[in-house]
Amino acid sequence: MLLPHDPPPTKSVRKIAPFHLPSALSADRPPERRGLARDGVRLLVLDRYTGNVTHTRFDRIAEYFEPGDLLVFNSSRTLPATLVGRCKDSPWKIETRLAESLPDGTWLGLLLPEAGTETGNLPREASILDFGGGLHCQLLEQDQRIPRLWKLQFTKRGTEFLDLLYRLGQPIRYRYLSAPWRLGYYQNVYALQAGAAEMPSAGRAFSWRLLLQLRNRGVETAFIALHAGLSSYLDDEIDRQHLASEEEYWISGEAATKIRRAKNSGRRIVAIGTTVVRALESAAAESGGEVRACHRYTQLHITAQYRLQFVNGLLTGLHEPEASHLDLLAAFVRPPIIYAAYSEAIRLRYLWHEFGDLNLIL
Amino acid sequence: MKQLADKFALITGASQGLGRELALAYAREDVRGLALVARGKKQLKKLQSEITNIAPTATVEIIQADLGSITDIERLAAITLEACRGRLDILVNNASTLGPVPMPYLLDYPVDDFQQVLNVNLVAPLLLIQNLLAAMIDHGGSIINVTSDAGRVGYPGWGAYGISKFGLEGLSQTWAAELAETPVRVNWVDPGNMNTAMHRDAEPDEDPTAWVDPAAATDIFVFLASEASRHVHGKRLEAQSNWREMITKG
Repeated sequence: MLLPHDPPPTKSVRKIAPFHLPSALSADRPPERRGLARDGVRLLVLDRYTGNVTHTRFDRIAEYFEPGDLLVFNSSRTLPATLVGRCKDSPWKIETRLAESLPDGTWLGLLLPEAGTETGNLPREASILDFGGGLHCQLLEQDQRIPRLWKLQFTKRGTEFLDLLYRLGQPIRYRYLSAPWRLGYYQNVYALQAGAAEMPSAGRAFSWRLLLQLRNRGVETAFIALHAGLSSYLDDEIDRQHLASEEEYWISGEAATKIRRAKNSGRRIVAIGTTVVRALESAAAESGGEVRACHRYTQLHITAQYRLQFVNGLLTGLHEPEASHLDLLAAFVRPPIIYAAYSEAIRLRYLWHEFGDLNLIL
Repeated sequence: MKQLADKFALITGASQGLGRELALAYAREDVRGLALVARGKKQLKKLQSEITNIAPTATVEIIQADLGSITDIERLAAITLEACRGRLDILVNNASTLGPVPMPYLLDYPVDDFQQVLNVNLVAPLLLIQNLLAAMIDHGGSIINVTSDAGRVGYPGWGAYGISKFGLEGLSQTWAAELAETPVRVNWVDPGNMNTAMHRDAEPDEDPTAWVDPAAATDIFVFLASEASRHVHGKRLEAQSNWREMITKG
């Protein structure tokens, strides 16, 4: 949650990256629905140090790993995080996008009232939102910096809450999609416990065949979980500010041991997704440079100035010019190298977004 | 120590017949937790309280779901993964539907019913394994698919049910081959003739007292769920035959 005492964001430091992304390069459907296998998307391999770019296909990614490399995945499962509700006695619909669950059992949710909603029916403190099917929540408190973000208290918790959410919710979908793809398309094959508002999409192209192949080659894998929040608050001005959000993450004892061993024996640690970088680096920062089993919340914002302690490589999607992920990428690669690679990706018509092509930075 | 201590199992079709007996048998073996799936919530609730009496420390999650629905399967997978905290040991694909009874000849089979039977008996096990494999692949797990003699022999009048079980046997063989180098085991069991509501519906002219009580067919399912069977993979077994000998002989 954004805390009231955080310093206000200064817009001057938030530059938009110097490239233009044509809208035709948005992946509007999953690869399986555009004639490709899940792991048949394109892969741009970028050398962190030389800036050298190689174009290949994702199902050949194993060629870039060596036995002993440790790939760390985010196993968070995507929720059907969009609900539609109404305040009591109001005819107007309010779309609710769950962003994250908070330590006290409440949720943060982005409330998007239907266009034309009368002022009296807009969300306000203490109102009850009814989603039908027996699911309700109370609006506790409005966020200080993102006016449409509210703290919500649902009447159900645990698996009872999940049961209703899955009965009523839909995945969060953005406008560039060609159809309302069902939730199954928003899951990674290795996904475990549900909690992500949006799919941790860097790992989407991994098929079981590929994962088993990597395992047989001696490439190690570890799974942590970070429940990713919203990638957009549907407000350009706010999105550009890159406000640090707080996200929940877990590292199991088993994963922590694998990570420590890889680090101590000088093996490469590759994060599958920016969420993994955030979780591992937060965990290290919290425990004096060691990754240990933990369940915490992180607000770490990684930028060019950040010195990565654990992660040597990153598999990630291609990011929009205004995305905060580009700040994080700058901790791996100097921005001019990223922009050069991106302009090549645009020229070669790589696809952006959760169903799109991928970028391996080593 | 009992055979299933520390293990978490998902059983589909748990509200009656064999599924219900399996849940009780697993509880008697001190299972850590159970996710029990069926369409009827009331029967599941009753079963839940019976299990709590047998195994007071076991977590019992009851999930009302229709296995013919993809969204229901996504929901039940998410609830199961939450209940087992991301670590599942046993998946029993037991639920099945006969389709319309009396079962029409294939010649007369309404295509909508045919598809529904395939969805519940064949597509649901596929989707459940796909959705839950991640929770088994690191620590190992046991997948048990419930098949039938009608999945090996094309009996007249066994229509979509028999064909779905032929499919399930093929599915089981292929999964077993694909997972051969992992610690996840796949086996499939023909429980034989049992005195269940479904079997009485399928063969209303037969004498059900000649069939065994489903409670008498659970031993093999306990064995396959337990560590005692950790080397058994890719096998078709029959609950009412001398299966221990079949396993020893290979």
